[in-house]
Amino acid sequence: MSVIETYKPQRPRLLFFHFLIGGMVLVLAAGLAYRQLLRAGAYGERERLQNQRRVLVPGPRGNIYDRHGRLLVGNRSRFAVTLYLDELRREFRTEYIETVRHYRESEAEGDIARSDRPSPGQLEQIARAHVVQRYLDQINRLLGRDEKVDLRELNRHFQQQLLLPYILLDDLKPEEFARLIERLPVESPLQVYTSSIRFYPYGSAAAHTLGYIGTSEEISVEDLPGEDLKTYSFKGTVGRDGLELRFDSLLQGKTGGAIYRVDPAGFRVNEPKEKRAPVQGHNLYTSLDIDLQLAAERQMQEIGDFKGAAVALDVRTGEVLVLASKPGYDLNAFSPRLSAAAAEDINAREAWTNRAIGGVYPPGSTFKLVTTLAGLRSGRLTSDATPADCDGTMRIGGRTFYCDNGRGHHGIIALREAIAQSCDIFFYTCGLQIGPDLIAAEARRFHLDQPTGIDLPHEVRRMLIADPEWKKRTTGDPWFAGDTANMAIGQGFMGVTPLGMACFVASLARGETTTKPTLVHDPERLPQHTEPIGLAPGQYAAILDGMEGCTTRGTAKILATNFLRIPGLRVAGKTGTAQVGPQNAIINIAWFVCFAPIDDPQIAVAVAIEGDTPGESFGGGRYAAPVTQAVLKTWFEKSQHAGASAARLTAN
Amino acid sequence: MPSKRFDQAKPFVVLGIVVLTWILIPVAVKSFLRAGFYELQAPIQVTASYARDLQEYWAERTHSNKELMEAGRELRHVYAGYEFQAQQVEALRAEIARLEQLLRLPSNPHYRFEPARVAQRDFSGWWQKLVIRKGANYGIPAGAPVVYSGGVVGRVRAVHAYTADVDFVTSPSVRLAATIENDSRPVSYQGGDNPPLAPARGIVEFVPPDIFTSAKDPKRLVTSGLGGMFPPGLTIGYITRLEASTDGLFKSGEVALDPRLSELTEVTVLVPLNPE
Repeated sequence: MSVIETYKPQRPRLLFFHFLIGGMVLVLAAGLAYRQLLRAGAYGERERLQNQRRVLVPGPRGNIYDRHGRLLVGNRSRFAVTLYLDELRREFRTEYIETVRHYRESEAEGDIARSDRPSPGQLEQIARAHVVQRYLDQINRLLGRDEKVDLRELNRHFQQQLLLPYILLDDLKPEEFARLIERLPVESPLQVYTSSIRFYPYGSAAAHTLGYIGTSEEISVEDLPGEDLKTYSFKGTVGRDGLELRFDSLLQGKTGGAIYRVDPAGFRVNEPKEKRAPVQGHNLYTSLDIDLQLAAERQMQEIGDFKGAAVALDVRTGEVLVLASKPGYDLNAFSPRLSAAAAEDINAREAWTNRAIGGVYPPGSTFKLVTTLAGLRSGRLTSDATPADCDGTMRIGGRTFYCDNGRGHHGIIALREAIAQSCDIFFYTCGLQIGPDLIAAEARRFHLDQPTGIDLPHEVRRMLIADPEWKKRTTGDPWFAGDTANMAIGQGFMGVTPLGMACFVASLARGETTTKPTLVHDPERLPQHTEPIGLAPGQYAAILDGMEGCTTRGTAKILATNFLRIPGLRVAGKTGTAQVGPQNAIINIAWFVCFAPIDDPQIAVAVAIEGDTPGESFGGGRYAAPVTQAVLKTWFEKSQHAGASAARLTAN
Repeated sequence: MPSKRFDQAKPFVVLGIVVLTWILIPVAVKSFLRAGFYELQAPIQVTASYARDLQEYWAERTHSNKELMEAGRELRHVYAGYEFQAQQVEALRAEIARLEQLLRLPSNPHYRFEPARVAQRDFSGWWQKLVIRKGANYGIPAGAPVVYSGGVVGRVRAVHAYTADVDFVTSPSVRLAATIENDSRPVSYQGGDNPPLAPARGIVEFVPPDIFTSAKDPKRLVTSGLGGMFPPGLTIGYITRLEASTDGLFKSGEVALDPRLSELTEVTVLVPLNPE
């Protein structure tokens, strides 16, 4: 009988163990099922979080153009040579072993004491630095440089940004880039890396308006998977001032990135699982005309080293053609980052302020236009009346007020000539007849007491149009007749911005009360239509006559000289000189506001230049009008050229 | 039974021993063996190349006298053209020397021209290469540029005693600093993924966005000379297509390479006279 035949499977004593083993198998199977079926998702998720990393690359910002499509702010490529540390794991290990061996041999030979031997962590850092320096030496040989590895930066990068390429040399010259492209093997861990930095073809032109950017640790990510993964990110950019800040969300590029598998030590394994290229942000077409902007800034530079601002608007649409502020700064100094010395220089020159929207000055005699409007609309002034006989002085409330623009006597003078010659005595008299409340109300009707709402950050809100109630509330003092006289000529408790005055004169040019300025160019933009100015045609014509007289025979007659005259262009303007500062250090502000052509107004300009010497004569005709002339001349030449081109096209 | 099992396992044991031995052999020995293998193989390639030359020679001998006379006449015309060009080159050289002297400029780096017959063209692999019939015996260094009448052929990758391997310009392992004709900004050229029998193509990258091209009006891509290996002005190919990258910084595109590259029989190695 064989052994198999004697086997009895139903032996009762074994039955217990069969159940026991069966039960244990069931427990194992249940455990396996629990792990593999019920917990599979959770484990998969944990595995994903543990072995996947996300790398984010910000998209370049969009470009900024002027109204004719000329690049004002773009992106410049920046070449760097980088080392992918995660491809050097084996080299790091080999070097570590070599380093340890070297120290052991040195100890054995008595060169160093055992206590001087670095810790394993330090040895790893030393080994890594040796390997990276070897690669850097390779670059040094190719480029003829002598660069050294920054150990602290290398360790920081290794600990925090292992998946990102380590930048060995930045901002390579084109020749260096070319040399490395040709000399570095394609499969080398050394690669040429490109990124973008802001580039400003016109340097300091419109610097305050365009603004600048700074780096940002945070970059926005849209619909890129893996938000729960550990993420490494290249630095992004964020607008800090000007249009860069105001339109930051539009200009921001779309972030790209990739998801990599990594091993337990964090080194990359294989090609990325998912990859998306960064996309450049949207472009912005501004209303600025860079030719006009350059003309204004060049002329502001030529008249001297003064602070000031110039604004030019398209009368019909309110689009800003020029927004210049001096002193300025070179925007290229901000790329890639502003040095401490450059920042100190900007501070010292007080160049951070955009004086076109942040400089608050008394409007001086340019305000006489508001006084005129208040008088004509209230009926307390007529266009032909001669309320004053200017002999150079006038006693008001026990104080003597002077006619600053007389150089003698204007004599009996009417409105047209009073505007042209800017006769203070005429407007003192008118102001007293009209009263402060009506003048203030007229100024507020043109929104001179409010921000314009231009699409720029940091527009001031502290402009001021005072009235008796304001003075009582603020100082507790009553309003005197002298305050009214001051107010009538734009002095005293008044503060407006150059942009506000540009909007005022543009409104006046259209015969309306409001101009909403914008820096965004829209070729289809419709002309603005707001509340009518409320003057009879004769009254309006008298103001225009006076303003034209200002530029032909009056306080801005410099514009009629052969040197500055623009043949074929009739300009309606008004000069102003305002005083600011304490009694012993009064500084003059030279103003000039205008629009042109008189019969079909298209461009309005306001210029304010700050004097730098207390007590120095500083008239708007001498300092501000030439800046305006430079803008108008460029504008007129361009208009003529465009008109000729259009005529040629039509003829063809 | 056990002896039978061992017999069955014998091949695996032997394979294991061979693998283990190979792993344990020092790297220097391995390198020597590898180099020795190349040197052993080289005469076969060279002999095959000579045999092809001989075959061509006898094929030429079958032509009639009339055909040979016509070919000779055409050659005379070509020769006359070349003679004229040679005179122009001499005149230009003299002019360059005069200008260099006048401006006190250092002379351009010079090369020694080493013509070499092609022993083998290998376009089958992922990387594409030529084997030329000259090597260390003619002082050819690794990395030396290789050119032909139409422009760039490639770069010497490895030098053996009597032959040298040339990485072909179509190979993805070749990357050159190039410029687009009439533009001084450097761009990058790299060989593309070229399947056998397809027209050879390369890739151009880092092209400035203001460069435009099309298949009808291709732009000539030439060596920049900035990389320090190739002299400037050698034709690499023609850019037939450019696309802007999504980040708006550069364009990249395709470079059509000369079809004659696949039929090369003779090339010239530019051996730098003053290597860095």
